[in-house]
Amino acid sequence: MQFAVDRVAVHGRPALRVRGELDIATVVQLASCVAVELSASPRALVVDLTETTFMDSSGARQLARTARDAAAAGTALQVVCPRSNAPVRLVIDLLELERLVPVVESATLSDGEVGS
Amino acid sequence: MPQPTIDEEALARCAEEPIAVPGAIQPHGALLAVTEPGLAVVVASANAAEVLGTDPTGATLADLLTPAELDRLRAALAADLAEAEPLRVAPGGTELELVLSRSGGLLVTEWEPVAGAGQAAAAWHRRLPTVLQRLSAPTTLEGLTAVLAREVRALTGFDRVMVYRFDTEWNGEVVAEDRRPDLEPFLGLHYPAADIPAQARALYAASWMRLIPDATYTPVPLEPPLVPGTGRPLDLSGAMLRSVSPVHLEYLANMGVTASMSVSLIDRGRLWGLVACHGYSGAHRPSAADRTAAEFLGRTASLLLHTTVGAAERDGMVAVAQREAELVAAIGRTPRTPAAALVDGDLTVLDLLPAAGAAVRLDGRLHLLGSTPPAERVAAVVPAVLRAGGATDRLTLALPGFDDVADDASGVLAVEVGGGRGDFLAWFRPETPREVSWGGDPRTSKVTDGRLSPRRSFARWTETVRGTARPWREHEVGAARALAGHLGAAVLARAGEDDRLSAALQRTLLLEELPAVPGVALGARYRPSEADVVGGDWYDLVPLPSGRLAVVLGDAAGHGLTAASVTAQLRHALRAALLRDEGPGAALAELNRLVAALLPGEMATAVVVQLDPVTGELALASAGHLPAVHGGDGTARLVTDGRGPALGLLDVADYPQAELRLDAGDRLLLYSDGLVERRDRPLPEGLETVRAVVAGAPGGPQEVVDAVVDALDPAGADDVTVVGLARV
Repeated sequence: MQFAVDRVAVHGRPALRVRGELDIATVVQLASCVAVELSASPRALVVDLTETTFMDSSGARQLARTARDAAAAGTALQVVCPRSNAPVRLVIDLLELERLVPVVESATLSDGEVGS
Repeated sequence: MPQPTIDEEALARCAEEPIAVPGAIQPHGALLAVTEPGLAVVVASANAAEVLGTDPTGATLADLLTPAELDRLRAALAADLAEAEPLRVAPGGTELELVLSRSGGLLVTEWEPVAGAGQAAAAWHRRLPTVLQRLSAPTTLEGLTAVLAREVRALTGFDRVMVYRFDTEWNGEVVAEDRRPDLEPFLGLHYPAADIPAQARALYAASWMRLIPDATYTPVPLEPPLVPGTGRPLDLSGAMLRSVSPVHLEYLANMGVTASMSVSLIDRGRLWGLVACHGYSGAHRPSAADRTAAEFLGRTASLLLHTTVGAAERDGMVAVAQREAELVAAIGRTPRTPAAALVDGDLTVLDLLPAAGAAVRLDGRLHLLGSTPPAERVAAVVPAVLRAGGATDRLTLALPGFDDVADDASGVLAVEVGGGRGDFLAWFRPETPREVSWGGDPRTSKVTDGRLSPRRSFARWTETVRGTARPWREHEVGAARALAGHLGAAVLARAGEDDRLSAALQRTLLLEELPAVPGVALGARYRPSEADVVGGDWYDLVPLPSGRLAVVLGDAAGHGLTAASVTAQLRHALRAALLRDEGPGAALAELNRLVAALLPGEMATAVVVQLDPVTGELALASAGHLPAVHGGDGTARLVTDGRGPALGLLDVADYPQAELRLDAGDRLLLYSDGLVERRDRPLPEGLETVRAVVAGAPGGPQEVVDAVVDALDPAGADDVTVVGLARV
């Protein structure tokens, strides 16, 4: 699958849908999309890894950086990665990324938000 | 090149000979220099009365011409003289052609009898369209010059018409020829530069045509010899009747030439060559109209030279440019391995331009392709050629000390690849001994009584030129430079510099050899990334004060210089933390604090085990790392406890330890993600394969490590590190 980051909306929140292999070669695309989103300091941002087929340590590092940057921007970040996406979810679990950023099965409403 | 043995002094004297101001003309016409606008005769050739049929001394042109002729003359004077057609006049009853030019403030009028001039069969103006079409049809230089020689001969009726081309040293070569069938061919013959001195070449570059209808003529003096009022001789550079150097006449006589004409070929302001016409059977004088036509052909061919030379060169240029683009694209596809792109592909750097061998030195590594001198000679030759300008087609003649490489490298084209690290690209051409056929031994010029006497021998004389290779062409040098520039800018700045430094860094991270630790058997395998880039893997063995051994395997995220420098810091910090001997968990917690504080935004994983070789007690802590594999008794399991978050993820983190026992015959395997990461194999499957191989593999730790690497067949995009340990 060709790597792509799509800008979509989930429950009215901006979301970045990451498709294909998130690795050292493609991670820069995610980083720049994240930077664009966070520059507007949205209340929430979703990074959706449901269709991410592979993630290496550079990709994981970018998720960690995104979490820190989101916190600094006052943005509630949520990472979507269902357990069914075992190759990526295992990396997240091994690194214990959940201790830094909520990792959920599917996009959920965050506190104080009203779904549309 | 042969060195003509000519007395330098005599040659210099020849060069000083006043060929533009000989003070005389050839006898086939008369010359009058007149004032403007009065047209009063100031200087006249001694034969003027005889040629004109009336004595012009003290006259004006108004006295010599009819009112109608005078009107045409004044009209011509008002326009561009260079474009003026010869005027037909008959001052003393004899029909003459009058040619006009200006010199030193005077109008120079040259009067030449129409009678006695050879006239081409058909009128020139009728043939012009056909001839022009023929002239512009060829797309190659050979074609153009052949047409030119043929048409000029048809027009002027000389016995032989040659197109003669100068090389960069002003030696000439006959590149086209049309001749009387009984004559010996001169095509391909070379003539040394001394045959046409610099001063004559300057004249040829300034005027289009020279004519010597009778090479045995006696010069006719101008009277007075110095122009009244100026005290200087009349400059005849632009005069058709100019008397030529006696040396030149002698030269013609030595060649058996009785009549001669030449038309300059000038390519964008530079004398490119000549159309040289020879008559061998007495005087021969083409009509002024035919000469004008021949000159017109020469001028037209001069304009075409640029495009036809260009067309022939363009083929080569297009091909070279195409290959340059392909190589640049190949580098772009694998920017981390530029050397591989240039050396290993279907299209290599050797294909860029015609050469027999090529050398690529990148990141200090030398790759040779095709026929080249041996590596150590390439390392000596190329820098020497670079210092001497970068390209030579005569290495052994130009630079001392390289006679041994003449066979492969008489031609060397070298370009530096930026960065001052001595990297380069180079191409080699073999020595091609060339047979050069000279139109006579160029060494036969003689100095007699201090005066240069032209060559007497024109018999074909073949010289073998050694030590030279086919010259490098401008577009080839350009393409080589462009490719090197691209390499330097686009690749090395990004990857090469990085990799060189990080490779050096990483060499300090990897153990040259595993230390011998009593009671412990160790095995290790490190395989660098096939992408030629340094990853962030490291492993370490740290003997602890308590007598236990700490084994570390870590992996910093990312590649290249940053990852390598992060890795270096992590390794040293972890060593320091481990030497406190507070256990793997405490050491990782300390390391994590350090990463969070000092390396913000970086992330790494590591697994640390601490083994007591005596008891087999083993403590393990992992910071986000892939699970170690503990095998023994034909089974194996992934060690999934003793885990904490990846380093750098949280500002403060605890790392619980797993406690296990490494019994005799047990083995523990640590590895980096490069071992199990494959795009076409989900990570859980990779982990299961590792587990299964550790369970079943016989032998010691090294055998197990090797078996695991073989079984997993890692993708190669990342570096792979595997460490195994057991008790003995």
